[in-house]
Amino acid sequence: MTVTPTPDPTDTVAVVAPGRRLNSATRGIFPRRLNWFYVPALVLFAVFSIYPLISGVSLSLTNWNGYSRSRAFVGFDNYLRLLDDEVFRTAMVNTLIYGVGSTLIQQVLGLGLAVVLDRIARGSSLLRAVIYLPVMVSPVVLGTMYYLIFRYNNGALNDVRALFGGEQVAWLADAGVGIAVIVIVNSLQFVGISMVIYLAGLQGVPTEYYEAAQLDGATWWQRFRSITVPLLQPAFATSIVLNLIGGLKLFDVVQVLTGGGPGQSTHSVSTLIGETYFSNQAAGYSAAIGVVLFVLIVAVTFVLNSLLNRKRVEL
Amino acid sequence: MLAGFAGLAAAAVALSGCSGSGGPGDGDKVALEVQSAMAEGTPRFDALGKLAKAYEDDNPDVKVDVVAMGSDYEGDMKVRMGSGDLPDIWATHGWSLLRYSEFLEPLDDQPWADTLNPVLDSTMKNDDGEFFALPLTTDVAGILYNRTVLEDAGIDPASLGTIEAFDEALAKVKETGVVPISSSGKDDWFAGNVADWLGSGSYDGKESEQLADGEFVDSGFEAMFSKLEEWTKAGYFNPDFSSATSDDIATALGQGKTAFVMIQNSLALSAKQFVPDAQLGFMPVPAINGDPEYLIGGEGVALGAWRDGEHKEQALDFLAFLAETENIGAFASDDGNPAGLTGVDVDLGDLSDSYEQFFTPGEVRMVPYFDRAYLPNGMWNTLISTTGGIITGQTTVDSAVKQTEAEFGTLYGQQ
Repeated sequence: MTVTPTPDPTDTVAVVAPGRRLNSATRGIFPRRLNWFYVPALVLFAVFSIYPLISGVSLSLTNWNGYSRSRAFVGFDNYLRLLDDEVFRTAMVNTLIYGVGSTLIQQVLGLGLAVVLDRIARGSSLLRAVIYLPVMVSPVVLGTMYYLIFRYNNGALNDVRALFGGEQVAWLADAGVGIAVIVIVNSLQFVGISMVIYLAGLQGVPTEYYEAAQLDGATWWQRFRSITVPLLQPAFATSIVLNLIGGLKLFDVVQVLTGGGPGQSTHSVSTLIGETYFSNQAAGYSAAIGVVLFVLIVAVTFVLNSLLNRKRVEL
Repeated sequence: MLAGFAGLAAAAVALSGCSGSGGPGDGDKVALEVQSAMAEGTPRFDALGKLAKAYEDDNPDVKVDVVAMGSDYEGDMKVRMGSGDLPDIWATHGWSLLRYSEFLEPLDDQPWADTLNPVLDSTMKNDDGEFFALPLTTDVAGILYNRTVLEDAGIDPASLGTIEAFDEALAKVKETGVVPISSSGKDDWFAGNVADWLGSGSYDGKESEQLADGEFVDSGFEAMFSKLEEWTKAGYFNPDFSSATSDDIATALGQGKTAFVMIQNSLALSAKQFVPDAQLGFMPVPAINGDPEYLIGGEGVALGAWRDGEHKEQALDFLAFLAETENIGAFASDDGNPAGLTGVDVDLGDLSDSYEQFFTPGEVRMVPYFDRAYLPNGMWNTLISTTGGIITGQTTVDSAVKQTEAEFGTLYGQQ
């Protein structure tokens, strides 16, 4: 019997049509196995990511107001102005609070929920769905809901206080309260994502490890600290990076809940970009803020990925 | 198969031919897109819709689509200007000259141009005498008040011509347990208007011209922000400033839960919708710098035609139709403001008394909107944020002045 060898999928020999040969120069430029299925994705990526990025950088070097037919090149003026802009500084600090605060809350809550749900035998699916549900709700809707809770007149919180004889409080007139509410709303909305990631991670840990540790007399906390946490490292990396990027880009909740106010004290960099572009009519300056936000997110992602992947544990 | 396709094609051609030779279907009409800056269901939007319908009846070959504004009219229009895709006609909301004129057809050669209300010359005409929109109404604004509240507090609005007298009135109102002034950081144009209303009385003529020429003068802003801070510390502003909506404020004004609101007179119409028996009026604004009191005037509801529009001729014809005395009078009555053209009778409704007392005699000076006349394009947002910051106690006077100066410098050089 003759056996025809099956081509190894990892084989890197170029697929060449009969009668055609790749010369050495062509082999150098094109990958040997060209899969055209990624071309549509590449085109979309170029149109919706690369082009806007290049266009944004070039816009940031002008003083365009966003609609006029003329614009002038101003070099790095917009970037230099950022150094002296108090509102930008406030927005940057707020953005870091939104990003780091939301990430911390989501990691703690998400991991806790995942651990609990992993151990619950009955009703676990329903609980997972309930906790994940807010992820699918628009942040605008959720922000509006919380606005109705915290508003001064007819706000749910003030109405409850009134039931117990408490006075009305203008919650959203205080920047500190506004920032805290934004962090909490954002965290509660997206905690489901962390929970799902950690649940998947937990279910990937072989039970033999726990059984062996239990035989050795390890307590629950020791097992969690020495087995679960190290083996969840990839899940930590994914969840933290996703949550942090989401927090740093935060727009909708801020816009709906406080609009960046009172004054400009709760702006995130994203809401400031929108306001600077459309309301202040400073499209060039707004683009410069956008470029800075982009660099910040890339840098944070890069650093975090490097740090978290360094600690990865091999099974 | 081919025969089938040919048959279908022939039938389609025949049907389209029938449509063309009979009464004009919508497909044969010129469709004019009229982008209004009015919300659907408001009296002024319905009034414009009625006029559009009347025009269609007179001109069967034109279809006029009056479009209600979205949630961010200015943003929408900026995107359309940026992309060069504009409606045939659009509402200029006070900015026909300073923001939109680059894209609008000059209208000073139109048959109705000579009747433009002279009050609007300073805000709507450029140095060459050109103007770019038909003002259906003239915006006349002062400080709206609830007449019942002032009567109960023993205050005559005609006696509040100085800032000292106004301060005393605020204190008296507060003693009666009513909120003296209401504004909003949520629907933030309220906060911007507080600064716009007071700004004109914080600078004299010379200083205002310096601002217009790009030279920042801090004294007026300092005086205005200090006054706002003083009112904030005295507890004169509504405690729900950060969360109050336009409807909340209109209701509060109608119900007599607040005495004064610094906003356009159209809010009185909303207040009357919520509280039909409300007694409302408006009064001139007292100047912080001690100058005489003033009313604020400018372009009200105004429509301009796209200079590069495909249907520019029909657009100008529709504007001429709106400018006819009877039509513009009907619209202005529904809007509750004087018409933007002279020689037009308008029913000013509940605010008639105030118009007759302060506007018609022409004794109270009229000033343009502060930000439109003297500040660079884009400063409106700075007025909103700094005022909101002061009223909520989040910003100091110094910091607000510095922020205003920084924005002023940048935006003055913006193109």
